Amino acid sequence: MGKDMKLDRKNELKEKLAHYLFLFNATVAIISVAAIAFFVFYRGLQPFIPGNAEGTYSLIDFLTGLEWRPGEGKFGILYMIVGSLLATTGAIVLGVPIGILTAVFIAELAPKWIRTVIKPAVELLAGIPSVIYGLFGLGIIVPAIMQLSSQPQGQSLLAVILVLMIMILPTVITITESAIKAVPDSYREGSLGLGATKLYTVFRVVLPAAKSGILAGVVLGIGRAIGETMAVMLVAGNPIAGLPTSIFSPVRPLTTNIAMEMSYAFGLHQEMLFATGVVLFTFIIIINLILNRITRGSELK
Amino acid sequence: MKKKINFKEGLIYGIIGVATLFTIGILVFILGFIFSKGLPHLDSHFLTSQFDSTSAYVDVKLSEGTENPLGLILGEMTLKEKGSIEKQVIVVKDIEKTSLAESAVNNKGQNLAISKNDIINRIEGENVEGKSVDEVNQILNSINADKVTLRITKQGGGIFPMLMTTLMMIGLALLFSVPIGVLAAIYLVEYAKPGRFVNLVRFATESLAGIPSIIYGLFGMILFVMTLNFGYSLLAGALTLSIILLPVIIRQTEESLKAVPDSYREASFGLGANKIYTISRVIIPTAMPGIVVAIILSIGRIVGESAALLLTAGTAAKIPSSLFESGSTLTVKAYTLAKEEANIELASAIGSVIIIIILILNALSKLLSRKITKI
Repeated sequence: MGKDMKLDRKNELKEKLAHYLFLFNATVAIISVAAIAFFVFYRGLQPFIPGNAEGTYSLIDFLTGLEWRPGEGKFGILYMIVGSLLATTGAIVLGVPIGILTAVFIAELAPKWIRTVIKPAVELLAGIPSVIYGLFGLGIIVPAIMQLSSQPQGQSLLAVILVLMIMILPTVITITESAIKAVPDSYREGSLGLGATKLYTVFRVVLPAAKSGILAGVVLGIGRAIGETMAVMLVAGNPIAGLPTSIFSPVRPLTTNIAMEMSYAFGLHQEMLFATGVVLFTFIIIINLILNRITRGSELK
Repeated sequence: MKKKINFKEGLIYGIIGVATLFTIGILVFILGFIFSKGLPHLDSHFLTSQFDSTSAYVDVKLSEGTENPLGLILGEMTLKEKGSIEKQVIVVKDIEKTSLAESAVNNKGQNLAISKNDIINRIEGENVEGKSVDEVNQILNSINADKVTLRITKQGGGIFPMLMTTLMMIGLALLFSVPIGVLAAIYLVEYAKPGRFVNLVRFATESLAGIPSIIYGLFGMILFVMTLNFGYSLLAGALTLSIILLPVIIRQTEESLKAVPDSYREASFGLGANKIYTISRVIIPTAMPGIVVAIILSIGRIVGESAALLLTAGTAAKIPSSLFESGSTLTVKAYTLAKEEANIELASAIGSVIIIIILILNALSKLLSRKITKI
């Protein structure tokens, strides 16, 4: 009897320990998010706090400046913010319609055998690393733009838009497709039963019903486009100053600014790169909050 | 009236078709581009050689009583140098069985085997660049000693160090992230009651999935490279990667745990098993294929990752000999080749290797997922 109780105690202790072990690991994700936010903001905001060891810089000059000349102590990123926003907008405007139409084809129109070919293709498109998209951009898109434009180089806003457009396609397609699939069949049957054509049903009944899912796909696409670095770095041109004046102007998105100079930057220059990260991170947080709102809204329904 | 609608509908069908063809066409175009540029470079030399060329002086003993005492069969080769200067060099085409070239030693007395494709720059101090094979053989035949000193260059241009670094990165990152991710998923599915904490964990994993890799790189650089003073290193890269992988592993494992029927749990409890026993002997084995899919997806993510590693593991084109040394994975090297050396050909060759790896991983996870749905 006493032995049994001892065993029970031991088991109970073991169970409790296991419980805490699992619990601890579940908190790692929370700790990670907190640590990322803390370290990025903490280091990135240093240059704007008076008395910083590496020197200070005006937050307003940083956010409104049109020149990035670390050698002369000029760190303006407005033209990068504009570049990032224009590139993302362009990619969304071109990529979203193509993505939604492809998803419509896969989910509603394609015969089964075609679907079994296209779906793995879209998955592969999602799995291709961004460096490869960059290589493709550098080897095909940039030379093609060079032929088109009067600019001496093909690395341009247009090249960035085209590469990003391709890169957001799998995101938009997959999310839209599952949103369409989640629309109950009774909607389709109701519409078809009332004499509507298949296309009318898809565009007037199914897509509106899948609206919030599609919107989530678009927002995820925006997040992917604004955060993309390596592919963009190869095709953007990355000038040291100036707002883009046409789609053939080179641009320098926020992400490439961080990645390009980090390896050799030190002192204030390095801290200003961290500060660029803070601006980018702020955009990402806003996008994630919007996404959260959309997905939660659709869950409530 | 009916005809008009048909025309309009036809047009819309057409547009949908064009959009789909565009999506598929782009994929085919990208794969075609990378493979056409890269596949011709793929051979065993490319996969097994060092990236940088290295030169050294070696002493080779001559084998006695054979027709070719050195035992090297030489050939001529034109070498393209930077700035498109070409020069003709002598290269080892083949090695005879009697040759002692395998046991050649460098000037520190260490073994440094001569192998196929090595370039011979000097023989006993005499420069043989630009000389023909016959001239070189004459020089060799005139040597009257039991050993000969050669300056050889092991040709670089291979991706062996990057392959090894990628493998090390995969192993190390999975070592950190798989236990954490799987245990976290077990907590969420088997222990946690719905409520604040679960929502917080879910919010955190969703947030992690939405953070772009350059921000992870920035974080890894600030925390691991600078604050913890690891420097650009294998360890800093792997730790950063392991956080990137968390959402993938947690989500995928959660799904597979949820797919384990409750009757399994009840049966195990009913037989008197306790919770840990049930989890470790019943639930995890049943959910194993799903966990393996999570690992495969993670490997794909590691192979494709570049921005985060650029800022944490650096770009050294060698095999890191410790956790605290820099090393570049295949993908990072493809980037630096394209960006800093404008060498799209070689970058595409690495790109082909990466795509082949991704294709294999995709096929594997498909196969496993099919097995899961069969259960």
